[in-house]
Amino acid sequence: MLAGLGVRPIRVEAYIGRGEVAFIVVGLATTTVKEARERVRSAIKNSGLDFPHSRLTVNLAPAELRKEGSGLDLPIAIAIALASAHRLPPPRSAFVGELALDGSVRHVDGVLVAARGLRELGYERVFVPAEDAEEASLIEGLEVVPCATLLGVVNHLLGVEPIPPASRAAAGDTPSAMEQDLAEVHGQEEAKRALEVAAAGGHHVLLTGPPGAGKTMLARCLPGILPPLEFDEALEVAQVRSLLGELPRGRPLDWTRPFRAPHHGVSTAGLIGGGSGLALPGEISRATHGVLFLDELAEFQTPVLQALRQPLESGRVTITRSGGSVAYPARFSLVAATNPCPCGWGGDNVRVCRCTPAAIDTYQRRLSGPLVDRIDIQVAVRRVPLEVLAAEPCGEPSSVVRERVVLARRRQMERQSVLNAQLKPTRLRQLAPLPPESRRTLERWSARRGMTARGFHRAWRVARTAADLDGSDTIAEHHVLEALGFRLQDVAA
Amino acid sequence: MSPPELRTRGRWPPPEGPRVAIVGSRRPSPYGEAVAEQLALELARRGVVIVSGLALGIDAAAHRGALNAGGVTVAVMGTGVDVIYPSAHTVLAEAILKAGGALVSQFPDGTAPRRHHFPARNYTMAALSDLVVVVEAAEGSGALITAEAALDLHKEVMAVPGSVFSPLSVGTHGLLRDGAGLVQNARDILAVLNLGGEVLDDPLAAPGTLGFKLRPERDGILSHLSDVLAVNASELARKLQLPIAEVLGRLTSLELDGAVTRHQGGYVKALRRGKERA
Repeated sequence: MLAGLGVRPIRVEAYIGRGEVAFIVVGLATTTVKEARERVRSAIKNSGLDFPHSRLTVNLAPAELRKEGSGLDLPIAIAIALASAHRLPPPRSAFVGELALDGSVRHVDGVLVAARGLRELGYERVFVPAEDAEEASLIEGLEVVPCATLLGVVNHLLGVEPIPPASRAAAGDTPSAMEQDLAEVHGQEEAKRALEVAAAGGHHVLLTGPPGAGKTMLARCLPGILPPLEFDEALEVAQVRSLLGELPRGRPLDWTRPFRAPHHGVSTAGLIGGGSGLALPGEISRATHGVLFLDELAEFQTPVLQALRQPLESGRVTITRSGGSVAYPARFSLVAATNPCPCGWGGDNVRVCRCTPAAIDTYQRRLSGPLVDRIDIQVAVRRVPLEVLAAEPCGEPSSVVRERVVLARRRQMERQSVLNAQLKPTRLRQLAPLPPESRRTLERWSARRGMTARGFHRAWRVARTAADLDGSDTIAEHHVLEALGFRLQDVAA
Repeated sequence: MSPPELRTRGRWPPPEGPRVAIVGSRRPSPYGEAVAEQLALELARRGVVIVSGLALGIDAAAHRGALNAGGVTVAVMGTGVDVIYPSAHTVLAEAILKAGGALVSQFPDGTAPRRHHFPARNYTMAALSDLVVVVEAAEGSGALITAEAALDLHKEVMAVPGSVFSPLSVGTHGLLRDGAGLVQNARDILAVLNLGGEVLDDPLAAPGTLGFKLRPERDGILSHLSDVLAVNASELARKLQLPIAEVLGRLTSLELDGAVTRHQGGYVKALRRGKERA
């Protein structure tokens, strides 16, 4: 059984005793598991196997763990079938699958997660629904037996007709699809550069601009300039999808960075994860190793945004529900977008903003605070008039920018094993010293704009990333100046 | 028409002397703000009482200019005199009182800001002044209500011209077209008040607070910036054929020196003191 991205193996025992005809399941089984009795009985009979005509007891251990899900159908049926045949299951093997009444084995969610967890627990063989075999076979060092029908599995176990193990899925060279190419965005050099720096250093970005300025288009470009997923990252992405039953058939592993754009009406549970019993992953976990795009940031409910703080800091989210606590990965790049004021036209050269000072004040206050404080890069996106748009050059394609990003990330990993955005202040001082001139510039700005200590470190990290993109070992003054150019929040209104 | 009954704080009535209302956009360009501040400063030095509405932007710049000259300024409020709006202007309101000015309102104490109160306030402002100067007003701006009220009350209306590229010039240029007096410097206003001597077409000196040192190596960027319209970094990078990272860095460096200011829409050149413009 699954608990988040962890797995809790359940031992299924069957005992055929004397007495009145009965089929009893013990061991804290919830409704879905109790229903297994009817499916198992029909499946066994319709497979042409004998169903014991006496008192049958099935025990699910450990007894204190609440058992949920239809994945226990197959192991219960196998336990009964083997007990009838007076046989033992093969050692270090696990079974998962739902049964149809006719005895065929059906898909269950989260097989990839189960397979990975079981291998880590020392299991060597896993019996999974045939359609989920490819998913499970992504895990190295685990024999995967695809189960099409209950009868087939029983024949395999009794040595009548062995099922060949699934061949390991080619962790393919499927090219990563791209949401949007930077080359399709005219102008907006400032915002494009901001995305490049964000991609290189793992920084979060806030795009501010009037409606129709192209904020969404820019955000969609970010996955394409991030390096393709590493194997472990892709596996983690696939695990979250597997758990939600969203893994596409025939292509379980995908090297494309996820891009999630939840609507601003999203609930806290929808964003960070939730649900009854054990929590399911939310949007932030679906976005793990990819991009979470929050458009109209000021329209999100405050508690929803506040719930983002812990995952933004730690890259994980822990959710407690009645069924227990689970932790999910949530290491995403945040791209937030907002209008400059309620009407959206503040700062535009052509249209005049008609918001009252109080309205702007309220709006800005919603944006400020703990969340925006955790965003390293802020950039204004301007509306480009159509006639100018056509004249503006398109600029570099994402693939060219990505090469620079990959190099800059490599420099960071070699130096410090994490991206700049995740450097703690102490390590920042150690690993990214500021030469006197650069420090003076940063301090001058800090003194003028009343920047907080946190803001100081954020600008410092971004400057380090600018230097990494430059291939420079030291942070020059112009790197600091560029970083300060991305600090919109220090600008007096 | 008799003015409505007024609630007041501070010294009321103000000392004898002409009263000039300086009004305009709540979100002016650096140019408009500098003009309002400098006009108020020079008028206040000549004993003119500066009247404005305590709002953001031009209003605040006018009050500030008068205070910098050690002059008297009156804030005509759209709220009760005990309700400072916007609240960010609490310090400004106190400075006005301390300098011998006044806060006045036609609304009872405790009146909160209401959208429909402000047009009435604008009318009162005109009634309390001898002359109204409009600095930057977009079409439909509240400052135009003050100007219209001044005409109804047979008071003089003058306007400061702006850039023809800026939406904030539409209102003021409309006034000029309809016969408002042209303001190029404080002497234009003083002449109408019969306080000035000769009217000369001198440029208005920029306020002293805006001076900055020039570094020749950055002039390239400055010459592509305007003091009215915001220019964004992407546009500059294209014009100068420089990488965007470098342009951003140089702009920030200019910003640190006070030579440019950053706005939502991009970068704007700060004004330098008059002598250096050659």
